[in-house]
Amino acid sequence: MLFLTLAVEQIVNGLFLGAIYLLIALGLSLIFSLGGIVNLAHGAFYAIGAYLTIVVSPYLGFGGSLVVAPVLVGLLGLLAEKFLFRRFYRSDPILSLLLTFGLAMVAEQAIRMIFGAPPLPYSIPQALRGQIFLGDFVLSRYRLTILAAVVVAVAAVWFLLQRTTFGRIVRAGVQNPDMVAALGISLKPYMAAVVMLSVGLAALAGVMLAPISGVHPAMGAEVLTGAFVVVVIGGLGSFWGVVVAALIVGIVRGLMVLVYPGFAEAAIYALMAFILLVRPRGLFGERILRFE
Amino acid sequence: MTALSVPAPPRKAPVLPEGLTLGAAALVLVVLPFALQGLGLTLTSATDVVIFAIATLGLNILVGQTGLVSFGHGAFFGIGAYAAAILQRNLFPGGMVLPALAALALVAGLAVLLGLLILRRRGVYFSLLTLALSALSFTIAFRWTALTGGENGYGGVQRESLLGLDVGDSWVWYAVVAVVGFAVLVALARFRRSPVGTVLEAIRENEQRARFLGYPTNRYKLTAFAVSATVTGLAGVLMAFSHRFASAEPLGTAFSGELLAMVVIGGMRSLAGPAIGALFFILFRELLSIWTGDWLFWFGLLFVGFILFSPDGLVGIARRVMRMIRPEPTEDAAMAGRRAGTPENLPAFLRPEGAVRPQEAVRPGEAVRPGEAVGGTILAADGISKRFGGLKAVQDVSLAVRDRTLHALIGPNGAGKTTAFNLISGMFKPDTGSVTLRGGSVAGFAPEKICAAGLGRSFQITNLFPALTVEDNIRIAVQGRHPGRFDVWRDARRDPAVRAETAEILRWLGLAGLERAEAGSLSYGGQRLLDMGVALATKPRVLLLDEPLAGLAAAERTRIGDIIKRVSTEVPVLMVEHDIDRVFQIADAVTVMNEGQVLVDGTVEDARTSPKVQEVYIGSGTAAMAAKPRPSAAEAEVLLALEGVDTFYGKSHILNGVTFDVHTHEIVALLGRNGAGKSTCLKTITGIAPHAAGYIRLGRDSLDGLSAAATARAGIGYVPQGRGLFAGMSVAENLELGRLRRRTGNGVHWDEERILSYFPRLRERWRTAADYLSGGEQQMVAVARALSGDTRVLLLDEPFEGLAPAVVESLFETFDALRKEVSIVIVDHNLDLALALSDRTVALERGRVMHVGPSRDLRDDLDLRRKVLWL
Repeated sequence: MLFLTLAVEQIVNGLFLGAIYLLIALGLSLIFSLGGIVNLAHGAFYAIGAYLTIVVSPYLGFGGSLVVAPVLVGLLGLLAEKFLFRRFYRSDPILSLLLTFGLAMVAEQAIRMIFGAPPLPYSIPQALRGQIFLGDFVLSRYRLTILAAVVVAVAAVWFLLQRTTFGRIVRAGVQNPDMVAALGISLKPYMAAVVMLSVGLAALAGVMLAPISGVHPAMGAEVLTGAFVVVVIGGLGSFWGVVVAALIVGIVRGLMVLVYPGFAEAAIYALMAFILLVRPRGLFGERILRFE
Repeated sequence: MTALSVPAPPRKAPVLPEGLTLGAAALVLVVLPFALQGLGLTLTSATDVVIFAIATLGLNILVGQTGLVSFGHGAFFGIGAYAAAILQRNLFPGGMVLPALAALALVAGLAVLLGLLILRRRGVYFSLLTLALSALSFTIAFRWTALTGGENGYGGVQRESLLGLDVGDSWVWYAVVAVVGFAVLVALARFRRSPVGTVLEAIRENEQRARFLGYPTNRYKLTAFAVSATVTGLAGVLMAFSHRFASAEPLGTAFSGELLAMVVIGGMRSLAGPAIGALFFILFRELLSIWTGDWLFWFGLLFVGFILFSPDGLVGIARRVMRMIRPEPTEDAAMAGRRAGTPENLPAFLRPEGAVRPQEAVRPGEAVRPGEAVGGTILAADGISKRFGGLKAVQDVSLAVRDRTLHALIGPNGAGKTTAFNLISGMFKPDTGSVTLRGGSVAGFAPEKICAAGLGRSFQITNLFPALTVEDNIRIAVQGRHPGRFDVWRDARRDPAVRAETAEILRWLGLAGLERAEAGSLSYGGQRLLDMGVALATKPRVLLLDEPLAGLAAAERTRIGDIIKRVSTEVPVLMVEHDIDRVFQIADAVTVMNEGQVLVDGTVEDARTSPKVQEVYIGSGTAAMAAKPRPSAAEAEVLLALEGVDTFYGKSHILNGVTFDVHTHEIVALLGRNGAGKSTCLKTITGIAPHAAGYIRLGRDSLDGLSAAATARAGIGYVPQGRGLFAGMSVAENLELGRLRRRTGNGVHWDEERILSYFPRLRERWRTAADYLSGGEQQMVAVARALSGDTRVLLLDEPFEGLAPAVVESLFETFDALRKEVSIVIVDHNLDLALALSDRTVALERGRVMHVGPSRDLRDDLDLRRKVLWL
């Protein structure tokens, strides 16, 4: 029984991390499917979101930074799209990979310059502290709240993509950009909007994780590899693939913390290697020739 | 879609004076410690430069040479360092050579295992996997404290004596590292020039083609991965000895990224570029960190700057500067002086041994050797079929290519000939049926096996190694059947046999004098010729050519056609070709396909005179719908006008001075055989394939230089071949996207009601996903979507393709009614329908307008039709 209690607690912790990965992986997948860019700078936008929390919350509180940080980071994404990404949509994807890697490097160093290298503490807001008791299970109030918020955010993204004109244009653009153009629709503003949305989601994840693990310059690089594992397992460009993969990675990681904590991180890479052996394109991935 | 490129003179490939590079490297290694000390840096910095240079040289085998970007090479560096340190302390106390060798063996073995997994994916996915490798190895090293010392690192490494040298002394140690570094550079220079090294470049340029030249590319890539990892691991070993310490830090992604940045900044396309990058990195780090703690920020900015403005790195900048000072001669003269006489016989070494004996030559009662094919047939497809989803692309097709003949496979668009060709050449595996070469089955073979079995193929779209020289393109193909192809040491370009054969083939092709030109910079005709030469150089028993004449000018068609004919007298040729004039002039046997099946299989005369073949190509003139006269609605006013329009795909000149106009409410049929440029013409009008020259006007507006989206908003509706519907979206949603940005007042306004009055059937299907509709309904949606919004001109590409007769009839009536609303340009291979529907016909041939006239004349007068549209 004790084991079960601990297991549920760790699974919730794992799912929490999976949810953070999911927010980042969804954005990665969106930018990739529409623009053909694997954005290695995505983790940087996440880190900037977390740092903005520290800057903004003394004035607006945690709730305020949940809104303000993603918006500000979205605007930053708009600039990156307009001046950098746009030049690489139709070029060799390897170049954009190197470009965004360089951007990630610059962003991380810029954070170090502005905020210093040591981690900055940020504590869980008063209202969300403490535990929730469900029978024998003890669950963190904050984590559960955030999990619920992520579910809402992901549902909103799903609604936007599936049920709105904006989403239909984006999905049509992924399928057949030439045909979209032949209907008089220029994809440029949509591409910019998708980048804004995607990096905004990453920033939201950054704000959410700030109270849990502290805020430090390398946090972007750390979360990025995890998010890539989710994307590789789920299959680039697949909404449900990414959602399912994030859940799997979260649960596996949570259980590993219980069994063999030192290698919880390594376990998700082993999981990825296994899935690649069995399904080289990921769980739901489609073959996109130009990225192979 | 690339267009607009106007042919430029061939560009000479940059040549590396390798001796010069090595000499300069030796000099730098001698001067380096003194120069750095002059700048106020230590001897350790000089040693670090050389060690990083070794690591980046190793990494560049993958990045620059093979085209695989690894974000995980820090792992091999770190593992090398740990292995040397741990082995020295536990197994070989005080030793250096043995722990180093053991560490390298470990890295190499690990690289082979990891390579087997990671190389399953290519391109972007490969990079992501290497990123994960580095993150994984970092967490393991960081957590496995018992083995690696975790956070504190692993110290206590000794560096005292190496082969009697006192390497405890920093100068001696620098000398040792410098010698090792130089040896690595020399070895990698040889590796680059070896058969394996040049094949890696070919894989970078075009892996699929390398496989069709008989190279098992997975083995080559695994070799590259292992060599690359081991060299980088060697740098790690040296680092452990140098600092007497190993840590987890190099295993992290940051260090892998720094290594990659050094490679890119130095220049990944040159031998010593990465080493220059390593020197640059250390100088930048050491000198800038005197001034600021944020040197990595500036380094990152610089890296981004290089990606944006000089992806070829410092070496690329140097080359550009050199070119400004002393421009390289282009190969214009050689191109002009290219001999273009009558083709000669094939070089002797390409002639196949043991021609297949015709049936008559087999004496009665003589036992035929097992495996020997007789009756002259060398390549046979027997009852092959292939389905894609629900579509039967090829059904029960049989054909037999006899030795020393030219066999052509022809048929209209969508006849399945390319699929049949791909089934025969091993690109796809047939669902049923067999493909045999000299009696042995080759169906479903991997490309490299197909090539080894004796099938050489060329590709529809030119498929070369564009950044390699003309000579190397042929040489790679020749080398594929020589024993030294897995050699990693010998100079590939000095193998006398390969060299002689390469030169002979180049001479025979008439490309002598262009050896040093980059293949991608040749004219389109030159590239097609080279493409065929590459296929021939594999010494095939049968040569398969996929549209060898497509996109060529008339003179080149004649020339390449003659060469093909000549080849086929020694090596039998099977070719798919649209140009039936040329086919009928040169082929010995013709197989005509239609709707996935063989229509006629026989001689040129059989095909030329067959009424069935003529019907497929020009129609019978008897369709029921054609009988009823269709009153024209055309007005005097010109709505859409093209004047002297030229369009290119890459270097291929598709439309050539196309001029015609479309009147208000007129229907114009754009006709011509496959490959004549009809679809491209529609795409040019829509702006998807922009024209490089000429003018297009719609009403009073010019469409020149407008984006596809702006053109569509001007009132052009486009229905592409294959319909281009958006899957997973309902009929209503598809139409909504058509209307969204086109309520512009440019033309007739098409709202829901108006559209449904023409396509009442869609009302019932309004909420159904487009991909669940029948073919006819899908076509209706595609047309309705093109009209949605405000539309003046409707462009239809093959609207009747693949539809049942009843559906065709109803669509036909709809188009007939639509003429009162908009102008229509229709492309269709069913000439009876297109002629019956249209007011005027514009006939295209090889990208030029050959005929403009009333459709009625062509509809009623089959002789005229034959004259204009047949031969």
